[in-house]
Amino acid sequence: MAILELRHVSKFFGGLAANSDVSFEVPVGTIMGLIGPNGAGKTTLFNCITGYYPPSKGEIVFDGRAMNGLLPDKVCKLGMARTWQKVRPLTNLPVLDNVIVGALCRTRSVRDARRIAQEQLHIVKLEGKAHLLAGALPIGERKKLEVARVLATKPKLLLLDEVMGGLNPAESEEIIQLILDIRKEGITQMVIEHDMKAIMRLSDRIVVLNSGEKLAEGSPDEIVNNPQVIEAYLGAES
Amino acid sequence: MMEAQTIPKPIIPRFPSLKFILRAVAVLIVAALFFVPNYVEDTYILHMMILIFINVVMGSSWNILGGYTGQYSVGHAAYFGAGAYTTMLLLQYKQVAPWYGVWVGAAAALVVAVIIGSICFRLRGPYFVLASIAVAEIFRVATLNLKDITNGAEGVLITEIPPLVIGGRLITDWASKVPFYYIGLVFALLIIGVTWLVRNSKLGYYFQAIREDQDAAHSLGIGLTFYKNVALAISAIFTSLAGSLYAVYVGFIDPSTVLGLDVSVQIVIICIIGGIGTITGPVVGAVLLVPLSEALRSNMITDLLIKVGIVGEETRMGLFLKEHLSQAHVLIYGILVVVTILYMPAGIVGFVRRMTARKARA
Repeated sequence: MAILELRHVSKFFGGLAANSDVSFEVPVGTIMGLIGPNGAGKTTLFNCITGYYPPSKGEIVFDGRAMNGLLPDKVCKLGMARTWQKVRPLTNLPVLDNVIVGALCRTRSVRDARRIAQEQLHIVKLEGKAHLLAGALPIGERKKLEVARVLATKPKLLLLDEVMGGLNPAESEEIIQLILDIRKEGITQMVIEHDMKAIMRLSDRIVVLNSGEKLAEGSPDEIVNNPQVIEAYLGAES
Repeated sequence: MMEAQTIPKPIIPRFPSLKFILRAVAVLIVAALFFVPNYVEDTYILHMMILIFINVVMGSSWNILGGYTGQYSVGHAAYFGAGAYTTMLLLQYKQVAPWYGVWVGAAAALVVAVIIGSICFRLRGPYFVLASIAVAEIFRVATLNLKDITNGAEGVLITEIPPLVIGGRLITDWASKVPFYYIGLVFALLIIGVTWLVRNSKLGYYFQAIREDQDAAHSLGIGLTFYKNVALAISAIFTSLAGSLYAVYVGFIDPSTVLGLDVSVQIVIICIIGGIGTITGPVVGAVLLVPLSEALRSNMITDLLIKVGIVGEETRMGLFLKEHLSQAHVLIYGILVVVTILYMPAGIVGFVRRMTARKARA
C-alpha cells in the first residue's frame, strides 16, 4: 500500500519547469531515496508535497487523501513532516522548547508535550543539551534537533532534506542509525541526500530526478547500474 | 523507546534562589500597591501612578503581539483610540456608564483588530510595520473627519460620570483619583497575569515559534494566520482597556491624543526600553518612562539642576535649559531609544539578565 502517491506533478516558475510530470508511489514503512544533480528539483518537489507551493499540475495523494492546496500546517496535522536543507532552529528558545513546539501538534497540554519532547531528545541523544538555546548548538546537533522536532509531531511520513549535509563521517553515521531506527518504528521516510554511499545503504527504493523530470526509479542496485543515471551524474560519453 | 526516568533532571538551584527572592519582592510590592492610596494624599503622586499603570497595560498588551509573536505593530493607537472613543461617546451622548462602555470599547477594538489583521498579516517584516502604521492613520483621519459621530478635531469632553452604586450602596462618585488608581492597578495586574498564562500555554510556545521562524513554525503544524490573529486580538482588547481608562480618567480626548502616531510609538518604546518578550520588560519601561517624560515636560529637571547648583539660574545655560528642555522631551526619548538599541538591544530586563547570568558563571 502506498502512503504517498504523486500523479503527474509539475511545478512551473514562470516559464521554468522545476518539476515536470513526476509520478511515483512511496510504500508504507519503507525508505524512499530521492537523488539527482544540483538543480534537479528535489527540494521543490518536497515543497510541493508539504504544501509550501501548490503544484501547477498533477495530484498529490497522502494516506488516501488529495493534498492539493492544503497549507503546511494542515499537512503536518495530517501526519506529514519535513526537515529543512538549511536547518531552521528557533534560535532564541531552549532546545527542549523547540521540540515542545513540535509535540504541541498532537496535544494541547504543555506538560504532555514536554514529556514527549524529552523522549525525542533522548532518542537523538540531545537530552544533555535540553536547556541550552538552540542557536548555541553546532551544526551536527542542530540537524539532530531538527529530526527530534519533526518526530515530536508524530508523523506517518517524514521527509528529510539533506540531513547529512555538512556533517562529518561520525555524525553522518549517527544520523544513518537514527533513520534506520525511525523505520523500525514504522514511519515511512523520504530522504534527499547527496552522499551516495549513505543513500544506497538506506533506501529501499530510489527515484532519480534530472532537470525536474523523473529519470529513473528502482532498487539501489538497479539505479547504480542504470546507464541513464550514470550519464546524468558523470556526463555523456562523447 | 526508553523510559522517561533515565532523563537527567535539570540541576536544582540553591534555595532560596535569586529568582525566588525577586518573586517574593514582586509580591510584596504588589501587596503594598493596594495600600498606597490609604497613606498617600498627594494627588500628583497618585496621578503619576495611574499614568504608570495605564502605560504598563499599553506596553504589556503590545508585548503579546510584538514581543512574543514578533509582529511589530506600530499602529496600536488604533486599538487605544477604539477603546477611548467608544467608551467616551457612549458615556457622553448615550449616557452609558463607563463600566459597561469599556467592554463595548474592547469589542470595538476586537472588530478593528480583525480588520487590521486580515489586511496586515498578509505581509511580513518591515512591510507589516508600514501597513500597521498606515491602517492606524486611516482610523485617525476617519475619526477626524466623521464630525457627526466623533465631534472631529474638537474631541469629546465628558461633563459627568454617573456615580457607581452597587446594591444601593455608593461605591464611588469619581471625585478623587483613588478609584482610577485601583482600576489601573487591577488592569495592569490582569494583563500581567494574562501574559503569564499565555507564556506558559500552547499559545505562548506557538507565538514564540512564529517569532523565531515563520516557515519552520508553519511546517510544525502552526496555522500562522490564526495564531497571529489570536495574539492581535488579546493585544487589542487590553490596549483598548488602557485607552478607555485613560479617556475617562483625563475626561477629554481628541484624535491626536488617543489615535496619533506618537501613541503607537510610545507603546513600542516602553517595550524596547524595558525589554521585548519578557513579562517584566513593559513594567520596567513604564516605571522609567512615565516619570521621565513628566519630569521633562514639567521642567522638573531644570529646576533640580538649578537647585543642586550644577547650573546657575541666571547663567546662559540655566536660561537656555529653562526655555528649551521642556520642549525637547521627544529628542531625549529618541536619544534614549538609540542608546538602548546600541548598548542594551534586549532592553533593561535583558541587560540585567545577561549580567546576572555572567556573574553566576564567573
